Amino acid sequence: MQIEVEELTKLYDLKRGLQPTSFSVKKGELIAVVGHNGAGKSTLMKMLAGWILPDNGQATIDGIVLRNRMAVVEKVGFVPEIPNLFDFFTVEYNLKLFAYLFRTPFSRVDEVLREFNLLSFRNNKIQTLSKGLKQRVNIGRTLLANPSVLLFDEPTSGLDFEMTKELYRLLKNIHDDGKTIFFTSHRPEEIKTLATRIMVLHDGSLIFDGSPKDYFQSEVYVNLYAL
Amino acid sequence: MIRNILILTLNDLAIAIKNKSIYLIIFIPFFVFVTLKLIDSPSIDEIPVKIGFIQNENYAPEIMLTVKAAGQIIKVTWVQDLQEGVQLLKEKKIDGVLLRNTNKRDSLKLLVLKKESFHTIVIVEKFLALQKAAEGYRDAWISDIEELYDGGIQRQALPTWILMLVLLIGFIILPAQVAEEKEKRLILALLQTPIREVEWLIAKVLTGMLLTLVAILLLHILSGFGVVHVPSYMAFIAVGGFCFSAFGVFLGFLCRNQASARTLGVVFYLPHLLPSALSDFSQQLSAIAPLLPSYQFYGPVKTILLEEGTIANLSFEWGYLLLVGALAFYLSSILLKKRWLMK
Repeated sequence: MQIEVEELTKLYDLKRGLQPTSFSVKKGELIAVVGHNGAGKSTLMKMLAGWILPDNGQATIDGIVLRNRMAVVEKVGFVPEIPNLFDFFTVEYNLKLFAYLFRTPFSRVDEVLREFNLLSFRNNKIQTLSKGLKQRVNIGRTLLANPSVLLFDEPTSGLDFEMTKELYRLLKNIHDDGKTIFFTSHRPEEIKTLATRIMVLHDGSLIFDGSPKDYFQSEVYVNLYAL
Repeated sequence: MIRNILILTLNDLAIAIKNKSIYLIIFIPFFVFVTLKLIDSPSIDEIPVKIGFIQNENYAPEIMLTVKAAGQIIKVTWVQDLQEGVQLLKEKKIDGVLLRNTNKRDSLKLLVLKKESFHTIVIVEKFLALQKAAEGYRDAWISDIEELYDGGIQRQALPTWILMLVLLIGFIILPAQVAEEKEKRLILALLQTPIREVEWLIAKVLTGMLLTLVAILLLHILSGFGVVHVPSYMAFIAVGGFCFSAFGVFLGFLCRNQASARTLGVVFYLPHLLPSALSDFSQQLSAIAPLLPSYQFYGPVKTILLEEGTIANLSFEWGYLLLVGALAFYLSSILLKKRWLMK
Protein backbone atom coordinates (compact mmCIF):
# COMPACT_ATOMS: atom_id res chain seq x y z
CA MET A 1 0.00 0.00 0.00
CA GLN A 2 1.23 3.48 -0.82
CA ILE A 3 -0.78 5.33 1.82
CA GLU A 4 -1.79 3.97 5.23
CA VAL A 5 -4.03 6.09 7.44
CA GLU A 6 -4.72 4.89 10.99
CA GLU A 7 -7.17 6.61 13.31
CA LEU A 8 -6.26 10.03 11.95
CA THR A 9 -8.17 12.61 14.00
CA LYS A 10 -8.57 16.37 14.13
CA LEU A 11 -11.44 17.97 16.00
CA TYR A 12 -12.37 21.64 16.12
CA ASP A 13 -15.05 23.43 18.07
CA LEU A 14 -18.66 22.29 17.60
CA LYS A 15 -17.43 18.77 16.79
CA ARG A 16 -16.30 19.81 13.29
CA GLY A 17 -13.20 18.25 11.79
CA LEU A 18 -12.34 14.61 11.30
CA GLN A 19 -13.29 11.76 13.63
CA PRO A 20 -10.80 8.87 13.90
CA THR A 21 -10.46 7.67 10.31
CA SER A 22 -8.55 4.75 8.82
CA PHE A 23 -8.03 3.59 5.22
CA SER A 24 -5.29 2.54 2.84
CA VAL A 25 -4.57 3.48 -0.75
CA LYS A 26 -2.82 1.60 -3.55
CA LYS A 27 -0.47 3.35 -5.96
CA GLY A 28 -2.23 4.89 -8.97
CA GLU A 29 -5.72 5.20 -7.47
CA LEU A 30 -7.83 8.26 -8.29
CA ILE A 31 -9.95 8.90 -5.24
CA ALA A 32 -12.81 11.33 -4.96
CA VAL A 33 -13.46 12.47 -1.39
CA VAL A 34 -17.10 13.44 -1.21
CA GLY A 35 -19.14 15.18 1.46
CA HIS A 36 -21.17 18.22 2.38
CA ASN A 37 -19.53 21.43 3.59
CA GLY A 38 -17.96 20.84 6.99
CA ALA A 39 -17.85 17.06 6.46
CA GLY A 40 -14.08 16.98 7.07
CA LYS A 41 -12.84 16.68 3.45
CA SER A 42 -10.50 19.67 3.55
CA THR A 43 -9.30 18.72 7.05
CA LEU A 44 -8.30 15.29 5.74
CA MET A 45 -6.52 16.81 2.73
CA LYS A 46 -4.71 19.41 4.79
CA MET A 47 -3.56 16.79 7.28
CA LEU A 48 -2.20 14.59 4.51
CA ALA A 49 -0.44 17.67 3.11
CA GLY A 50 1.02 18.59 6.48
CA TRP A 51 -0.84 21.91 6.68
CA ILE A 52 -2.67 20.80 9.82
CA LEU A 53 -1.19 18.66 12.55
CA PRO A 54 -3.47 15.77 13.62
CA ASP A 55 -4.70 15.52 17.21
CA ASN A 56 -4.25 11.77 17.08
CA GLY A 57 -3.51 8.94 14.72
CA GLN A 58 -0.88 8.33 12.15
CA ALA A 59 -0.46 8.28 8.39
CA THR A 60 2.38 7.03 6.23
CA ILE A 61 3.08 7.73 2.58
CA ASP A 62 5.50 5.30 0.97
CA GLY A 63 6.45 4.31 4.50
CA ILE A 64 7.26 7.88 5.58
CA VAL A 65 5.32 9.19 8.55
CA LEU A 66 3.41 12.46 8.05
CA ARG A 67 5.30 14.24 10.80
CA ASN A 68 8.50 13.89 8.78
CA ARG A 69 7.57 16.94 6.71
CA MET A 70 10.91 17.32 4.94
CA ALA A 71 10.59 13.83 3.46
CA VAL A 72 6.81 13.88 2.93
CA VAL A 73 6.87 17.06 0.79
CA GLU A 74 8.99 15.19 -1.74
CA LYS A 75 6.19 12.61 -2.08
CA VAL A 76 3.03 14.71 -1.75
CA GLY A 77 1.84 17.73 -3.68
CA PHE A 78 -1.14 19.71 -2.43
CA VAL A 79 -3.27 22.00 -4.59
CA PRO A 80 -5.50 24.07 -2.30
CA GLU A 81 -8.89 25.43 -3.33
CA ILE A 82 -7.60 29.02 -3.38
CA PRO A 83 -4.31 29.28 -5.30
CA ASN A 84 -1.57 30.40 -2.92
CA LEU A 85 0.92 32.07 -5.23
CA PHE A 86 2.97 35.25 -4.91
CA ASP A 87 0.43 37.54 -6.64
CA PHE A 88 2.77 40.43 -7.34
CA PHE A 89 5.31 38.29 -9.21
CA THR A 90 5.14 36.69 -12.64
CA VAL A 91 4.18 33.12 -13.47
CA GLU A 92 7.77 32.32 -14.35
CA TYR A 93 9.14 33.87 -11.14
CA ASN A 94 6.74 31.81 -9.03
CA LEU A 95 7.67 28.58 -10.79
CA LYS A 96 11.39 29.32 -10.68
CA LEU A 97 11.26 30.16 -6.98
CA PHE A 98 9.62 26.84 -6.18
CA ALA A 99 11.84 24.95 -8.62
CA TYR A 100 14.81 26.33 -6.71
CA LEU A 101 13.31 25.34 -3.35
CA PHE A 102 12.47 21.85 -4.68
CA ARG A 103 16.04 21.66 -6.01
CA THR A 104 14.63 20.97 -9.46
CA PRO A 105 16.50 22.23 -12.55
CA PHE A 106 15.05 25.38 -14.18
CA SER A 107 14.54 23.39 -17.39
CA ARG A 108 11.63 21.73 -15.57
CA VAL A 109 9.95 25.16 -15.38
CA ASP A 110 9.89 25.35 -19.18
CA GLU A 111 8.47 21.83 -19.33
CA VAL A 112 5.68 22.76 -16.92
CA LEU A 113 4.94 25.99 -18.80
CA ARG A 114 4.61 23.95 -22.00
CA GLU A 115 2.60 21.08 -20.44
CA PHE A 116 0.11 23.49 -18.89
CA ASN A 117 -0.17 25.86 -21.89
CA LEU A 118 1.29 28.70 -19.85
CA LEU A 119 4.11 29.78 -22.18
CA SER A 120 2.28 32.91 -23.35
CA PHE A 121 1.57 33.89 -19.74
CA ARG A 122 5.07 33.34 -18.37
CA ASN A 123 5.71 37.07 -17.91
CA ASN A 124 2.23 37.92 -16.61
CA LYS A 125 1.81 38.75 -12.96
CA ILE A 126 -0.32 36.22 -11.07
CA GLN A 127 -2.74 38.94 -9.97
CA THR A 128 -3.65 39.61 -13.62
CA LEU A 129 -4.63 35.98 -14.32
CA SER A 130 -8.10 34.42 -14.21
CA LYS A 131 -8.88 31.88 -11.50
CA GLY A 132 -8.58 29.02 -13.97
CA LEU A 133 -5.12 30.13 -15.07
CA LYS A 134 -4.02 30.65 -11.48
CA GLN A 135 -5.19 27.13 -10.71
CA ARG A 136 -3.16 25.83 -13.66
CA VAL A 137 -0.04 27.61 -12.38
CA ASN A 138 -0.77 26.20 -8.93
CA ILE A 139 -0.98 22.65 -10.25
CA GLY A 140 2.11 23.21 -12.38
CA ARG A 141 4.02 24.41 -9.35
CA THR A 142 2.98 21.33 -7.39
CA LEU A 143 4.14 19.05 -10.20
CA LEU A 144 7.59 20.69 -10.41
CA ALA A 145 8.97 18.21 -7.88
CA ASN A 146 7.19 15.28 -9.56
CA PRO A 147 5.42 14.00 -6.41
CA SER A 148 3.89 10.53 -6.47
CA VAL A 149 0.74 11.58 -4.57
CA LEU A 150 -1.36 14.63 -5.44
CA LEU A 151 -4.09 16.16 -3.30
CA PHE A 152 -6.61 18.54 -4.85
CA ASP A 153 -9.00 20.44 -2.60
CA GLU A 154 -12.12 21.43 -4.58
CA PRO A 155 -10.10 21.82 -7.80
CA THR A 156 -13.02 22.98 -9.94
CA SER A 157 -14.54 25.39 -7.42
CA GLY A 158 -15.29 28.72 -9.09
CA LEU A 159 -14.27 27.53 -12.56
CA ASP A 160 -16.52 27.85 -15.61
CA PHE A 161 -17.51 24.90 -17.81
CA GLU A 162 -14.59 25.20 -20.23
CA MET A 163 -12.00 25.55 -17.50
CA THR A 164 -13.53 22.67 -15.56
CA LYS A 165 -13.23 20.46 -18.67
CA GLU A 166 -9.62 21.60 -19.10
CA LEU A 167 -8.91 20.69 -15.49
CA TYR A 168 -10.47 17.21 -15.89
CA ARG A 169 -8.15 16.68 -18.85
CA LEU A 170 -5.18 17.74 -16.72
CA LEU A 171 -6.18 15.42 -13.86
CA LYS A 172 -6.57 12.50 -16.26
CA ASN A 173 -3.17 13.18 -17.79
CA ILE A 174 -1.54 13.34 -14.37
CA HIS A 175 -3.29 10.10 -13.37
CA ASP A 176 -2.20 8.43 -16.62
CA ASP A 177 1.38 9.20 -15.57
CA GLY A 178 0.84 6.73 -12.70
CA LYS A 179 0.31 9.18 -9.88
CA THR A 180 -2.06 8.65 -6.98
CA ILE A 181 -4.65 11.40 -6.78
CA PHE A 182 -7.10 12.52 -4.11
CA PHE A 183 -9.60 15.21 -4.91
CA THR A 184 -12.51 16.60 -2.98
CA SER A 185 -15.71 17.33 -4.83
CA HIS A 186 -19.39 18.17 -4.62
CA ARG A 187 -20.18 17.33 -8.22
CA PRO A 188 -21.54 13.85 -9.12
CA GLU A 189 -20.48 14.20 -12.78
CA GLU A 190 -16.93 14.91 -11.66
CA ILE A 191 -16.91 11.79 -9.53
CA LYS A 192 -18.48 9.63 -12.24
CA THR A 193 -16.07 10.74 -14.95
CA LEU A 194 -12.83 10.71 -13.05
CA ALA A 195 -12.72 8.64 -9.89
CA THR A 196 -11.69 5.03 -9.52
CA ARG A 197 -12.71 5.05 -5.87
CA ILE A 198 -15.09 7.12 -3.74
CA MET A 199 -14.76 7.99 -0.08
CA VAL A 200 -17.73 9.73 1.56
CA LEU A 201 -17.28 11.79 4.69
CA HIS A 202 -20.26 12.87 6.76
CA ASP A 203 -19.99 14.91 9.97
CA GLY A 204 -16.30 14.03 10.12
CA SER A 205 -16.77 10.26 9.74
CA LEU A 206 -15.94 8.03 6.79
CA ILE A 207 -19.32 6.46 5.91
CA PHE A 208 -18.57 4.98 2.48
CA ASP A 209 -15.43 3.70 0.79
CA GLY A 210 -15.82 1.85 -2.51
CA SER A 211 -16.09 1.97 -6.28
CA PRO A 212 -18.08 4.69 -8.14
CA LYS A 213 -20.52 2.02 -9.36
CA ASP A 214 -21.25 0.86 -5.82
CA TYR A 215 -21.47 4.43 -4.62
CA PHE A 216 -24.16 5.51 -7.05
CA GLN A 217 -26.24 2.45 -6.11
CA SER A 218 -25.70 2.81 -2.38
CA GLU A 219 -28.04 4.14 0.29
CA VAL A 220 -25.43 6.71 1.16
CA TYR A 221 -25.80 8.37 -2.23
CA VAL A 222 -29.58 8.07 -2.18
CA ASN A 223 -29.97 9.42 1.36
CA LEU A 224 -27.41 12.15 1.29
CA TYR A 225 -26.87 13.34 -2.24
CA ALA A 226 -29.58 12.28 -4.65
CA LEU A 227 -32.14 14.98 -5.47
CA MET B 1 -29.24 57.56 -0.74
CA ILE B 2 -28.71 58.63 2.89
CA ARG B 3 -29.84 55.20 4.02
CA ASN B 4 -27.25 53.54 1.76
CA ILE B 5 -24.50 55.84 3.02
CA LEU B 6 -25.48 55.05 6.61
CA ILE B 7 -25.51 51.31 5.95
CA LEU B 8 -22.12 51.48 4.23
CA THR B 9 -20.68 53.59 7.06
CA LEU B 10 -21.94 51.09 9.63
CA ASN B 11 -20.48 48.30 7.54
CA ASP B 12 -17.10 50.09 7.45
CA LEU B 13 -17.23 50.52 11.22
CA ALA B 14 -18.05 46.84 11.63
CA ILE B 15 -15.02 46.00 9.46
CA ALA B 16 -12.84 48.29 11.59
CA ILE B 17 -14.06 46.47 14.71
CA LYS B 18 -13.61 43.08 13.10
CA ASN B 19 -10.05 43.75 11.94
CA LYS B 20 -9.25 45.42 15.28
CA SER B 21 -8.26 48.80 13.76
CA ILE B 22 -10.80 50.37 16.12
CA TYR B 23 -8.59 49.41 19.07
CA LEU B 24 -6.16 52.14 18.02
CA ILE B 25 -8.88 54.73 18.58
CA ILE B 26 -8.99 53.61 22.20
CA PHE B 27 -5.31 52.83 22.61
CA ILE B 28 -3.72 56.01 21.23
CA PRO B 29 -5.60 58.53 23.42
CA PHE B 30 -5.05 56.30 26.45
CA PHE B 31 -1.36 55.98 25.68
CA VAL B 32 -0.93 59.73 25.10
CA PHE B 33 -2.73 60.40 28.40
CA VAL B 34 -0.40 58.07 30.33
CA THR B 35 2.70 59.49 28.61
CA LEU B 36 1.68 63.07 29.35
CA LYS B 37 1.14 62.12 32.97
CA LEU B 38 4.65 60.76 33.08
CA ILE B 39 6.25 63.69 31.25
CA ASP B 40 4.58 66.37 33.35
CA SER B 41 6.55 66.39 36.53
CA PRO B 42 4.68 68.52 39.07
CA SER B 43 7.33 68.10 41.78
CA ILE B 44 10.36 69.43 39.96
CA ASP B 45 11.59 71.08 43.19
CA GLU B 46 11.81 67.73 44.93
CA ILE B 47 14.21 66.26 42.40
CA PRO B 48 17.81 66.69 43.60
CA VAL B 49 20.40 67.55 40.99
CA LYS B 50 23.99 66.36 41.17
CA ILE B 51 26.47 69.05 40.27
CA GLY B 52 30.22 68.69 39.90
CA PHE B 53 32.40 71.53 41.24
CA ILE B 54 36.08 71.69 40.38
CA GLN B 55 38.53 71.88 43.23
CA ASN B 56 40.80 74.96 43.15
CA GLU B 57 38.30 76.75 40.88
CA ASN B 58 37.74 80.25 42.17
CA TYR B 59 33.94 80.29 42.57
CA ALA B 60 32.20 83.40 43.96
CA PRO B 61 31.85 82.88 47.77
CA GLU B 62 28.15 83.89 47.95
CA ILE B 63 27.30 81.29 45.32
CA MET B 64 29.15 78.55 47.18
CA LEU B 65 27.53 79.49 50.47
CA THR B 66 24.06 79.35 48.98
CA VAL B 67 24.73 76.04 47.21
CA LYS B 68 26.07 74.47 50.41
CA ALA B 69 23.00 75.66 52.30
CA ALA B 70 20.77 74.02 49.71
CA GLY B 71 22.23 70.57 50.24
CA GLN B 72 18.77 68.93 50.07
CA ILE B 73 18.16 69.92 46.47
CA ILE B 74 21.71 70.26 45.09
CA LYS B 75 24.13 67.43 45.71
CA VAL B 76 27.69 68.66 45.29
CA THR B 77 30.44 66.40 43.99
CA TRP B 78 33.96 67.78 44.07
CA VAL B 79 36.11 66.76 41.12
CA GLN B 80 39.83 67.23 40.71
CA ASP B 81 39.69 68.82 37.29
CA LEU B 82 37.49 69.36 34.27
CA GLN B 83 38.56 66.02 32.78
CA GLU B 84 37.24 64.11 35.78
CA GLY B 85 34.04 66.19 35.67
CA VAL B 86 33.50 65.33 32.01
CA GLN B 87 34.11 61.65 32.77
CA LEU B 88 31.50 61.62 35.56
CA LEU B 89 29.10 63.51 33.31
CA LYS B 90 29.50 60.92 30.55
CA GLU B 91 28.94 58.16 33.07
CA LYS B 92 25.80 60.04 34.17
CA LYS B 93 27.02 60.09 37.77
CA ILE B 94 26.45 63.85 37.80
CA ASP B 95 24.00 66.02 35.87
CA GLY B 96 26.34 68.94 35.11
CA VAL B 97 29.67 70.57 35.91
CA LEU B 98 29.87 74.19 37.02
CA LEU B 99 32.87 76.24 35.94
CA ARG B 100 33.73 79.83 36.61
CA ASN B 101 32.74 81.92 33.64
CA THR B 102 35.96 83.72 32.76
CA ASN B 103 34.12 86.17 30.54
CA LYS B 104 31.78 87.43 33.21
CA ARG B 105 32.61 88.23 36.83
CA ASP B 106 30.79 86.29 39.60
CA SER B 107 28.99 84.09 37.16
CA LEU B 108 29.12 80.44 36.17
CA LYS B 109 29.28 78.37 33.06
CA LEU B 110 27.26 75.12 33.13
CA LEU B 111 28.61 72.13 31.26
CA VAL B 112 25.92 69.51 30.46
CA LEU B 113 25.57 66.51 28.14
CA LYS B 114 22.78 68.10 26.18
CA LYS B 115 21.27 71.60 26.34
CA GLU B 116 17.74 70.51 25.40
CA SER B 117 17.24 68.08 28.23
CA PHE B 118 15.20 67.69 31.35
CA HIS B 119 18.33 67.78 33.56
CA THR B 120 19.53 71.12 32.14
CA ILE B 121 16.14 72.70 32.72
CA VAL B 122 16.06 71.45 36.32
CA ILE B 123 19.60 72.73 37.06
CA VAL B 124 18.90 76.19 35.66
CA GLU B 125 15.54 76.42 37.44
CA LYS B 126 17.05 75.41 40.78
CA PHE B 127 19.89 77.90 40.54
CA LEU B 128 17.46 80.66 39.60
CA ALA B 129 15.35 79.78 42.64
CA LEU B 130 18.40 79.74 44.93
CA GLN B 131 19.63 83.05 43.58
CA LYS B 132 16.22 84.63 44.03
CA ALA B 133 16.12 83.43 47.65
CA ALA B 134 19.70 84.58 48.36
CA GLU B 135 19.88 87.95 46.70
CA GLY B 136 16.63 88.73 44.88
CA TYR B 137 16.73 89.16 41.14
CA ARG B 138 20.09 90.09 39.69
CA ASP B 139 22.06 88.83 36.73
CA ALA B 140 21.74 85.03 36.56
CA TRP B 141 24.57 83.08 38.19
CA ILE B 142 24.59 80.67 35.28
CA SER B 143 25.37 82.97 32.39
CA ASP B 144 26.46 80.38 29.85
CA ILE B 145 25.59 76.76 29.06
CA GLU B 146 27.90 74.54 27.12
CA GLU B 147 27.04 71.02 25.96
CA LEU B 148 29.28 68.03 25.64
CA TYR B 149 27.50 66.54 22.64
CA ASP B 150 28.72 68.06 19.42
CA GLY B 151 27.02 68.42 16.04
CA GLY B 152 24.11 70.51 17.22
CA ILE B 153 20.48 69.55 17.50
CA GLN B 154 20.45 67.67 14.17
CA ARG B 155 23.09 65.20 15.29
CA GLN B 156 21.50 64.90 18.71
CA ALA B 157 18.22 63.96 17.03
CA LEU B 158 19.93 61.19 15.02
CA PRO B 159 19.50 58.41 17.64
CA THR B 160 15.76 59.16 17.78
CA TRP B 161 15.45 58.87 13.99
CA ILE B 162 17.40 55.62 14.06
CA LEU B 163 15.16 54.24 16.79
CA MET B 164 12.11 55.25 14.75
CA LEU B 165 13.41 53.42 11.69
CA VAL B 166 14.32 50.24 13.55
CA LEU B 167 10.94 50.15 15.32
CA LEU B 168 9.08 50.95 12.11
CA ILE B 169 10.65 47.97 10.38
CA GLY B 170 10.26 45.71 13.40
CA PHE B 171 6.77 46.61 14.55
CA ILE B 172 4.98 47.83 11.42
CA ILE B 173 6.53 46.39 8.26
CA LEU B 174 7.50 42.86 9.34
CA PRO B 175 4.35 41.87 11.27
CA ALA B 176 2.20 42.96 8.30
CA GLN B 177 4.37 40.96 5.92
CA VAL B 178 4.27 37.83 8.06
CA ALA B 179 0.51 38.17 8.55
CA GLU B 180 0.04 38.60 4.79
CA GLU B 181 2.00 35.42 4.13
CA LYS B 182 -0.18 33.63 6.67
CA GLU B 183 -3.40 35.12 5.34
CA LYS B 184 -2.62 34.15 1.75
CA ARG B 185 -1.19 30.79 2.90
CA LEU B 186 2.11 31.55 1.24
CA ILE B 187 4.01 30.19 4.23
CA LEU B 188 2.17 26.89 3.81
CA ALA B 189 3.05 26.87 0.11
CA LEU B 190 6.72 27.40 1.00
CA LEU B 191 6.52 24.69 3.65
CA GLN B 192 5.30 22.29 0.93
CA THR B 193 8.90 22.37 -0.27
CA PRO B 194 11.86 20.77 1.50
CA ILE B 195 12.85 23.93 3.39
CA ARG B 196 13.22 23.91 7.15
CA GLU B 197 10.90 26.08 9.22
CA VAL B 198 13.93 27.73 10.80
CA GLU B 199 15.24 28.72 7.36
CA TRP B 200 12.02 30.61 6.66
CA LEU B 201 12.30 32.35 10.04
CA ILE B 202 15.96 33.28 9.58
CA ALA B 203 15.16 34.69 6.13
CA LYS B 204 12.44 36.90 7.62
CA VAL B 205 14.71 38.19 10.39
CA LEU B 206 17.54 38.76 7.90
CA THR B 207 15.16 40.76 5.71
CA GLY B 208 14.36 42.98 8.69
CA MET B 209 18.06 43.39 9.52
CA LEU B 210 18.93 44.27 5.92
CA LEU B 211 16.10 46.81 5.69
CA THR B 212 17.32 48.33 8.96
CA LEU B 213 20.88 48.52 7.70
CA VAL B 214 19.90 50.14 4.39
CA ALA B 215 17.60 52.66 6.09
CA ILE B 216 20.27 53.70 8.60
CA LEU B 217 22.95 53.87 5.93
CA LEU B 218 20.73 56.16 3.85
CA LEU B 219 20.09 58.30 6.91
CA HIS B 220 23.84 58.75 7.47
CA ILE B 221 24.53 59.45 3.80
CA LEU B 222 21.76 62.04 3.55
CA SER B 223 22.50 63.72 6.89
CA GLY B 224 26.27 63.63 6.36
CA PHE B 225 26.92 62.46 9.95
CA GLY B 226 29.79 60.03 10.38
CA VAL B 227 30.51 57.58 13.19
CA VAL B 228 33.78 57.36 15.15
CA HIS B 229 33.51 53.81 16.49
CA VAL B 230 32.12 52.02 13.44
CA PRO B 231 32.48 48.39 14.72
CA SER B 232 30.65 49.20 17.97
CA TYR B 233 27.97 51.06 16.05
CA MET B 234 27.54 48.21 13.56
CA ALA B 235 27.34 45.70 16.41
CA PHE B 236 24.43 47.61 17.94
CA ILE B 237 22.64 48.18 14.66
CA ALA B 238 22.95 44.44 13.93
CA VAL B 239 21.75 43.31 17.35
CA GLY B 240 18.99 45.95 17.39
CA GLY B 241 17.91 44.89 13.90
CA PHE B 242 17.90 41.24 15.02
CA CYS B 243 15.98 41.93 18.23
CA PHE B 244 13.20 44.03 16.71
CA SER B 245 12.95 41.98 13.51
CA ALA B 246 12.51 38.78 15.54
CA PHE B 247 10.00 40.63 17.74
CA GLY B 248 8.15 41.78 14.61
CA VAL B 249 7.99 38.28 13.14
CA PHE B 250 6.58 37.06 16.45
CA LEU B 251 3.90 39.78 16.43
CA GLY B 252 3.02 38.78 12.86
CA PHE B 253 2.43 35.23 14.06
CA LEU B 254 -0.04 36.43 16.65
CA CYS B 255 -2.28 37.90 13.94
CA ARG B 256 -4.59 36.30 11.43
CA ASN B 257 -4.45 39.12 8.86
CA GLN B 258 -2.58 42.26 7.84
CA ALA B 259 -5.06 44.69 9.37
CA SER B 260 -4.74 43.21 12.84
CA ALA B 261 -0.95 43.00 12.42
CA ARG B 262 -0.80 46.75 11.72
CA THR B 263 -2.97 47.48 14.73
CA LEU B 264 -0.86 45.30 17.00
CA GLY B 265 2.28 46.85 15.48
CA VAL B 266 1.18 50.38 16.42
CA VAL B 267 0.24 49.17 19.91
CA PHE B 268 3.87 48.07 20.34
CA TYR B 269 5.48 50.83 18.26
CA LEU B 270 4.34 53.86 20.24
CA PRO B 271 5.14 52.55 23.75
CA HIS B 272 8.59 51.54 22.54
CA LEU B 273 9.32 54.77 20.72
CA LEU B 274 8.00 57.54 22.92
CA PRO B 275 9.30 56.68 26.42
CA SER B 276 12.80 56.08 25.03
CA ALA B 277 12.87 59.11 22.74
CA LEU B 278 11.38 61.39 25.40
CA SER B 279 13.41 60.05 28.30
CA ASP B 280 15.80 63.04 28.05
CA PHE B 281 12.93 65.36 28.91
CA SER B 282 11.30 63.55 31.79
CA GLN B 283 12.63 62.15 35.04
CA GLN B 284 9.73 59.71 35.32
CA LEU B 285 10.04 58.52 31.75
CA SER B 286 13.78 58.06 32.17
CA ALA B 287 12.97 55.76 35.10
CA ILE B 288 10.49 53.68 33.06
CA ALA B 289 12.28 53.66 29.69
CA PRO B 290 15.13 51.27 30.70
CA LEU B 291 12.54 48.52 31.15
CA LEU B 292 11.88 48.58 27.41
CA PRO B 293 14.10 46.82 24.84
CA SER B 294 13.91 49.98 22.71
CA TYR B 295 15.77 51.98 25.37
CA GLN B 296 18.49 49.33 25.57
CA PHE B 297 19.01 50.06 21.87
CA TYR B 298 18.45 53.83 21.94
CA GLY B 299 20.76 54.48 24.92
CA PRO B 300 23.84 52.75 23.47
CA VAL B 301 23.27 54.23 19.98
CA LYS B 302 23.12 57.67 21.61
CA THR B 303 26.25 56.95 23.62
CA ILE B 304 28.16 55.70 20.56
CA LEU B 305 27.02 58.49 18.27
CA LEU B 306 27.17 61.43 20.65
CA GLU B 307 29.66 60.47 23.35
CA GLU B 308 31.98 58.31 21.29
CA GLY B 309 31.20 55.31 23.50
CA THR B 310 32.18 51.78 22.55
CA ILE B 311 30.61 48.35 22.88
CA ALA B 312 33.12 47.50 25.63
CA ASN B 313 31.09 49.62 28.06
CA LEU B 314 27.74 48.55 26.67
CA SER B 315 27.93 44.77 26.79
CA PHE B 316 24.90 44.42 29.09
CA GLU B 317 22.65 46.27 26.65
CA TRP B 318 24.03 44.27 23.71
CA GLY B 319 23.43 40.99 25.51
CA TYR B 320 19.96 42.09 26.59
CA LEU B 321 18.91 42.84 22.99
CA LEU B 322 20.37 39.55 21.80
CA LEU B 323 18.45 37.67 24.48
CA VAL B 324 15.11 39.38 23.75
CA GLY B 325 15.62 38.73 20.01
CA ALA B 326 16.48 35.07 20.65
CA LEU B 327 13.39 34.64 22.85
CA ALA B 328 11.10 36.19 20.20
CA PHE B 329 12.73 33.98 17.56
CA TYR B 330 12.18 30.87 19.67
CA LEU B 331 8.52 31.73 20.33
CA SER B 332 7.98 32.36 16.61
CA SER B 333 9.48 28.98 15.76
CA ILE B 334 7.04 27.28 18.17
CA LEU B 335 4.06 29.09 16.61
CA LEU B 336 5.30 28.22 13.13
CA LYS B 337 5.67 24.55 14.02
CA LYS B 338 2.17 24.52 15.46
CA ARG B 339 0.87 26.27 12.28
CA TRP B 340 -0.68 28.85 14.60
CA LEU B 341 -3.69 30.57 12.95
CA MET B 342 -2.79 29.07 9.58
CA LYS B 343 -5.60 26.57 8.97
